[in-house]
Amino acid sequence: MIVAVEGLERRYGAVRALKGIDLALEPGGITGLLGPNGAGKTTLVETLEGLREPTAGRVRVLGLDPIRDGKKLRLRVGAQLQSTSIPPDLTCAEVLGIHASFYPRGRARPVAEVLERVALTPKARALVRTLSGGQRQRLALAMAILHGPELLLLDEPTTGLDPTARRGLHDLVRRLRDDGCTVLLTTHYIEEAEQLCDRVVVLREGGIVADGSPFELLQRAGGSSTLWIACSGPFDPAPLIAAGAAPQGVDGAHHRFVTRDPAAAVVALGDMLRGQGLTLTDLRMKRPTLEDVYLELVGPEPVEAGDA
Amino acid sequence: MIGVLRAAAALYRGHLLALLRSRTAAYFTLLLPLLFLFIFGFVFGRIAPGNFDRLMPSLFTITIVSGSLFSVSIRMVTERETGVLRRYRLAPVSALSIVLAHGMMAFTTMAASVLVQAVVARLVFGFGIHGSALALAEVVALGGFSLVPFGLVVGSVASDTKVAPMMTNMLMFPLMFLSGSAIPFALLPEWMQRLARLVPTTYMVESLQAVIVRGLGPLEVGEPVLLLLVTGFIGVAMNAMVFRWEGTERVRWRNVLLATMVLALIYVVAFYTEPGLHIGQGFD
Repeated sequence: MIVAVEGLERRYGAVRALKGIDLALEPGGITGLLGPNGAGKTTLVETLEGLREPTAGRVRVLGLDPIRDGKKLRLRVGAQLQSTSIPPDLTCAEVLGIHASFYPRGRARPVAEVLERVALTPKARALVRTLSGGQRQRLALAMAILHGPELLLLDEPTTGLDPTARRGLHDLVRRLRDDGCTVLLTTHYIEEAEQLCDRVVVLREGGIVADGSPFELLQRAGGSSTLWIACSGPFDPAPLIAAGAAPQGVDGAHHRFVTRDPAAAVVALGDMLRGQGLTLTDLRMKRPTLEDVYLELVGPEPVEAGDA
Repeated sequence: MIGVLRAAAALYRGHLLALLRSRTAAYFTLLLPLLFLFIFGFVFGRIAPGNFDRLMPSLFTITIVSGSLFSVSIRMVTERETGVLRRYRLAPVSALSIVLAHGMMAFTTMAASVLVQAVVARLVFGFGIHGSALALAEVVALGGFSLVPFGLVVGSVASDTKVAPMMTNMLMFPLMFLSGSAIPFALLPEWMQRLARLVPTTYMVESLQAVIVRGLGPLEVGEPVLLLLVTGFIGVAMNAMVFRWEGTERVRWRNVLLATMVLALIYVVAFYTEPGLHIGQGFD
């Protein structure tokens, strides 16, 4: 087990940031911690990094205690903080050189190789202050993978990046996974979780509310699908209704139905067309997205006191 | 330990490169000490003509004090405030490497300032050393060793980049004005000359004077040198007790107080045992 967390609690004064988290990570794959701001994602990741002490519960990363065995763990874990500050007056190569010196001799990979890996070779001699947001994030990632970690903890690695830069970072993370590194990242982008992650853990108010592959989450949540049906003539929707599809009105030539079981509705539609001697002129279907599932799990954005 | 030094060396190199790339830093390291030299040379040189060499211990002391205390604390606080230290913490680097690198950096800029001052003073004012240049270098190094740790302590204790210079100033003023560095010691009233025995800079001026004016070797200076050494060691120990990676960590004021009390005790002893000082003498 790469990560084993049992009953993890973390309090800040009266605020319970984490309320009894149980989480186990097998080697390999990209796991995404998805949740709104304040859900406890960063607290959880920083507890795994040993930057925060748990109030209660048991945390093991690579079988080690992140607080007690911090030094040993840091040789095997790579991490990127949510807001990484890098000395602005040094070049990319210099920053990586400094970080390489923190590891035992021979442990860190050559700086040139790591720069190549994150596609920053042309920027090796550029000062950090001149880098774009995406380049800075890639440099932060380079700092995290310098020593070939077994586990990579990335806290919102793509926040604030434009779509192209985000795609580039996704490719990098996928390649790291393919090389056998286990990745745990936090995000509040649903598409990111869907496209990048093999497993998604949804956090809400310090607790886990869902856990599974993006596909599983879609299945499990069982949200409603919408069907738009257009036929050669008027029809009697009774077979569809019997199959669990509720008529929702008409959009131009299309009749709209909502159902939790689109497969049954499509079968019933076939029977209906044959029985009533009609032909289908158009069929459209909208499946629930991960976003629908997520919003169902997480609920509406709470309006904070004093926000007005 | 080799790992600690290797990391410290790499961090130190980074500080140095960053400094060389910033103009304000060059200004504070080179231009300001020269400005001080010329003010000293023209103002005090006029008050006590023919005594230029006797002024240099005071000037060097001011340079050592400001060079050892000022920018180091700001650099450290900035690193903590911006989260650079927090990021370092995710790697297996020890706090000792970080503090050591900052200390070496402070030491370097301080030494560079003194060197520039000494060279220009020689060229412009004909400054000469009665003892050996090596002895002077040793005493300057010792002066740095006695004060740099306290610049580092301020760097660990201060909450932000506004508080750090304030705290440094609070340290610097008694160090400069209670000793014979800002005003020639002989011009201080007698009670102040007595009080001066409570601050390390007085012993720094004394040691510098011993090697510059009286031509002694650093080991021949005696108690003043010993006091500087002890002060430095207490400062080093203090650092181990107050370092903070993050601004959210509590400041261990109890440790600061404890170390300060030990230090105060030593200087009170020095105050009562009255090690012989020569810095009040010799102004004709």
